[in-house]
Amino acid sequence: MISKVNECVLFTNLHYKVEDNTWVRVNDDGTVTVGMTDVAQSLAGPVLHAKAKKVGTVRKKGRPIATVESGKWVGPVKSPISGEIVEINENLASQATLLNKSPYNEGWVVKMKPSALEEDLADLLTGEEAVKAYQAKVDADGITCTHIEGTEEY
Amino acid sequence: MDDLEGKKILVIQTHGVEAPTRTYSPLFYAVAAAAMEMEVMVWFTMNGTNQLRKGVAEMIKLDPSSNTCLKDMLQMCLDSDVELRVCQQSLNLWNMTPDDLIDEVEILGATSIIDLALNYDHVMYF
Repeated sequence: MISKVNECVLFTNLHYKVEDNTWVRVNDDGTVTVGMTDVAQSLAGPVLHAKAKKVGTVRKKGRPIATVESGKWVGPVKSPISGEIVEINENLASQATLLNKSPYNEGWVVKMKPSALEEDLADLLTGEEAVKAYQAKVDADGITCTHIEGTEEY
Repeated sequence: MDDLEGKKILVIQTHGVEAPTRTYSPLFYAVAAAAMEMEVMVWFTMNGTNQLRKGVAEMIKLDPSSNTCLKDMLQMCLDSDVELRVCQQSLNLWNMTPDDLIDEVEILGATSIIDLALNYDHVMYF
């Protein structure tokens, strides 16, 4: 279930938009949870601020659902799917480094009600396919993930 | 934050390689505004122009803690679709010709800056 490429952790049950460094978890209640990957947190460095769009915001895939800033980087978290934001991770406002310490669990960014889930999932990679794609990406970009103190153990 | 999408921000940068600590933030703000889905342009004039000479920005270290250099910030702007423009008249101050500029910068004249300033939602001047 957990794979590592160049020290970058991947959960093989998630669906990844590799070029945007985001992931999707399909929940039992019909919503999906969206977050940033371990690669993203490593590239950004310790996150200082994370601001998600408001609950009720409707996004097409590729549009930002949040902005994240560290000391050396600022950028959008692009939605890997289309849908409506139904919940945001309020803990990120006071503990932005959850994005670094627990990118796939406590550091989730938003939950969304998808509008075209099947179609959108077809554009994402999961399982071994995702691992292979990430291996190629980290090799090509010379990325080895680093982790700050307090990072979740895998 | 949502209400700001689509707004237009013009960043005017008048500081260059002689003042690295004054070059970092304006470009960082430009990238931040782009991340917030605003339309962003950075206009380089006065001393700001000299950082656009080919091969110069690579030499300017901005942040010792992360080894970020000025070229990284200019590239981050371009990757975020921030438009880079330079004042044509200011090239003469630095004995520069259009061929000396990094490729991604467009040259505009003084009347353009007035048009832009009036048409953008907000101007940030550094």
